Amino acid sequence: MTLKDIQTKFQAAVMAGGQPEGADILVSIKDSARTNRATLFGVYVNAYRLRLFEFMTIDYPALRELLGEEAFDALIEAYVVAEPSRFRNARWFSTRLPDFMEASADWRTNARALSLARLERALTDAFDAPDAEPLALASLGGVAPERWPRLAFIFHPSLILLDLAPGVVEALDAVNEEEPIPPVQNEEANAVAVWRADNDSVYRQLEPDEFLALNEARAGHRFGDICQLVAFQDESQSATERLAQFLTSWFADGLVVGFRESAEDQSSNTPSSA
Amino acid sequence: MGKPAPLGHGLGLRPVYYDEILSTRPPVDWFEIISENYMVPGGRPLATLERVRADYPIVMHGVSMSLASTDPLDVDYLSELKKLADRIEPAWISDHLCWTGVHGVNLHDLLPVPYTKEALDHVVERISRVQDFLKRRFVVENASTYVTFQESEMDEWVFVKEMAERADCLLLLDVNNAFVSGFNHGFDAARFIDAIPVERVVQFHMAGHSDNETHKIDTHDQPVCDEVWALYEQARRRFRDASAMIERDDNFPPFAELLAELQKMRDIDVRIAAEAARSAA
Repeated sequence: MTLKDIQTKFQAAVMAGGQPEGADILVSIKDSARTNRATLFGVYVNAYRLRLFEFMTIDYPALRELLGEEAFDALIEAYVVAEPSRFRNARWFSTRLPDFMEASADWRTNARALSLARLERALTDAFDAPDAEPLALASLGGVAPERWPRLAFIFHPSLILLDLAPGVVEALDAVNEEEPIPPVQNEEANAVAVWRADNDSVYRQLEPDEFLALNEARAGHRFGDICQLVAFQDESQSATERLAQFLTSWFADGLVVGFRESAEDQSSNTPSSA
Repeated sequence: MGKPAPLGHGLGLRPVYYDEILSTRPPVDWFEIISENYMVPGGRPLATLERVRADYPIVMHGVSMSLASTDPLDVDYLSELKKLADRIEPAWISDHLCWTGVHGVNLHDLLPVPYTKEALDHVVERISRVQDFLKRRFVVENASTYVTFQESEMDEWVFVKEMAERADCLLLLDVNNAFVSGFNHGFDAARFIDAIPVERVVQFHMAGHSDNETHKIDTHDQPVCDEVWALYEQARRRFRDASAMIERDDNFPPFAELLAELQKMRDIDVRIAAEAARSAA
């Protein structure tokens, strides 16, 4: 056999899994003095699945806890078969799991599991997203109040905003605290921000109006335009005060890495999607 | 392109030891990184590496170049590797004599090469292209293997020697891999070591393995065993200036245990150097 034929058959037998007896590649492999070729080839078969399962277990510990070991293993086995790695860097192998679940009739209806997978992927993505230096709130000190409505903010590249199914944040909190995952307490969706602070991924649940405002701000909309949008959503408090509170917490969280003053709104007043 | 200067005795830079390394600045001469773990946009891995690099020489060791694959060389991967190298300025860059997948798939394993003339021509040509791309001599490591191919036309050490000389590359001699492969395929690892050209070897790897009775598996989750230490002594007598390190990638012990293993390596080297000095006198 040529090198290409050997590699093609070798890979096919590794990916097929199970007992390698009968695999085409075995005609090219010798028994050793101590054991047979199927046992020796099996080292590669076992290592392949063990390694991929390990990557997934590291990246989705809470999903594993939510589903239980048996269901999680079934999910990962299906994923490994359907989505073999095409990445040089193992870091990216796990990244398509939420998309795979969403496309799967078996998994897309499990909204809590799908959302938890999205949240855990976001934590992984935030961990090694590009670097940027957060700004201190004091950096706005030189901006006269009348200019504020024209300010647009630039956010840390690690920031990911997610609109998740009910009970997802509680599930992740519980796993982090090594507590049992509680049943879903209420039917409110979980709006969540994920980002990196001090080199670790962090997450925070957001009220609906903060989620809306942060989405708009990240899309490059001006402070003044977002004030109008928040006012439209909730008239119980001054929109400017409320947005100023949000902005203060965004700076405190290290989310803001820059701002610019824009004479004209660069987009329409239509809210951007999450 | 010359042979890089020896670095002494090193360890692998692994996340589990980041805090201890940064806070104690341990007496390690250099660190080896798994290149792919730092081929990411940003965050803690790169930030930590930059800090360690400020105090220690770094060697980049990859696991995904897939030198022996019949797929085309991955130029995007090589570009990312070069970008990291430009940033970190490693003493050298290495990867394995293996393939990791074909048809665009990556099995994330170091897969065995049939020792054929066809494979030798293929690997030599690819190492030459990698060296041209990276603008440096590349370092190639012997992998642990578990199967022997019917198609093989030469012993592993003949293949490695021919490969190094024809590609004009350097070698990373993994002493544990030579031992594991020797056990699995029924050859004497000492013979392997004696066949490797002295002037090509810049680095040793030492590691532990797991024993499955009929075969051994390169798991890097154990201390180095006595048989591999004995083989190391033989290798050190032959390759006097090779930089040496201990790999640990699982079942991580306290960092002090790795430092103790490294000290054992240093003690062996001091003894062998003294013996050599006495016999030269």
